[in-house]
Amino acid sequence: MTPVLHGWDTTERVLDSGGFESTQRARASDPVVESSSSGARWLGVAYWQAVDRFTRGGIRARWTDDGGRLTLLGGFNLLTFGAPELEFSDNLVSCRYPIHDGLLAVRAGGSVTLAQRRLDDGFELSVVVQEYLPRLAARVGAPSWTGALYAKGQSPFHAAVSRRYFDLLARRAGT
Amino acid sequence: MKIAVFGATGVVGSSLLPLLAPEHEVVAVSRSAHAAESGIRWVAGDASSPNDVARAIEGAEVVYYLVHSLGSRDFERQDRAAAENVAAASEDADVRQIVYLGGLGDDDAGASAHLRSRRETGERLAAGTTPVTTLRAAMIVGKGSAAFETIVALVDRLPAMITPSWVSTPTQPIALDDVGRYLAGVCGNHAVLGESFDVGGPEVMTYRQMIERIATLRGRRPLIVEVPVLTPRLSSLWLHLVTPVGASVARPLIEGLKNPTIAREERLRTLLPFELTSFDDAARQAFGQKKKAST
Repeated sequence: MTPVLHGWDTTERVLDSGGFESTQRARASDPVVESSSSGARWLGVAYWQAVDRFTRGGIRARWTDDGGRLTLLGGFNLLTFGAPELEFSDNLVSCRYPIHDGLLAVRAGGSVTLAQRRLDDGFELSVVVQEYLPRLAARVGAPSWTGALYAKGQSPFHAAVSRRYFDLLARRAGT
Repeated sequence: MKIAVFGATGVVGSSLLPLLAPEHEVVAVSRSAHAAESGIRWVAGDASSPNDVARAIEGAEVVYYLVHSLGSRDFERQDRAAAENVAAASEDADVRQIVYLGGLGDDDAGASAHLRSRRETGERLAAGTTPVTTLRAAMIVGKGSAAFETIVALVDRLPAMITPSWVSTPTQPIALDDVGRYLAGVCGNHAVLGESFDVGGPEVMTYRQMIERIATLRGRRPLIVEVPVLTPRLSSLWLHLVTPVGASVARPLIEGLKNPTIAREERLRTLLPFELTSFDDAARQAFGQKKKAST
């Protein structure tokens, strides 16, 4: 049975550390992955597939159990990631990729965590980017328009990919 | 229990028979005649022939369906027809279980014709009343496995490779022995009737990493240059030239390589626990080398 998705939301804030935190969530009627290392890994697999599909291959995701990277037009490394940290329990299944570097990161640091959390009345799916320092965002004290590429481009793009990702997870869980 | 195995001369069927024969009455079905073996009765038959199928499965409680028509021009149609035959005959013969080996990644919306055909075959088998147990695997690492032998041939024959982007696609290859153990383990098991299981090996790797690992085992260091544009047709013609795999087999295989083939779940590991074979050990076995001693 394909899980039914509802309750989508997206938020973003700048942390005291200066890093960005971006969260996208959706509620699912049923689990989209099982609680196992394969289930946790699949949370990551589906995310990379969602990026590939949303950009129709313009941004390619390359990944293994050793890490991954997003490349623009097959050449430029936009972001590179370390090996996924997989966790699973009765209530939480997650796949966390530490951000290493790339053109879109000021420096190494931060992470992307893809998770399924059990709630009282269903499941929460989430994509959480934490402590990420985006190169395209406005610097502290700089005019806001200097961060337009991030605010109007990268950030909504990321949210849109996340939404597509949740749809993909639900659809594949139903097959 | 009496068991019929379709595709008994194939790579997977051949490794399954010795696992079943000590405990069961095994009828091995193949298109060509085959000499009798201890504990195994060979029957010449074609899965696309209703009469052959009915004769082969008479009295069987479990039917293994390990058949594919890859290499034929219309393999999708042939596979559908054969699966329908076996499903209908199994229903008539009151078979208790059909065991089918499908492909990981076959449920992807962008699946290749080969993977799509694997999925459709499973659906046709399940259309009858006989419960089907489906195991879905990625590349099988073993002697005779077409995909594995293709990569080995590339490594052995080419000092440098210009490869398409599919070499960066991740996959979860599984040892031939482990597939055999899983297949034998589900035989007659009530807990798995009507269920589908992903069966993956212990490691996720890209095809490029696989080429590099095989090269290391073979004592080679090929130069690999990845190019963004190399069509499946060109790739398959190239493989036809430099490997023992014909273009008609290579092309559907290559088209399938663009899809990640990763296990989504591991329920069967809980039901049938055993230590999975590492990729290197599986490859060594395929080469006839000894396994590396565990430390």
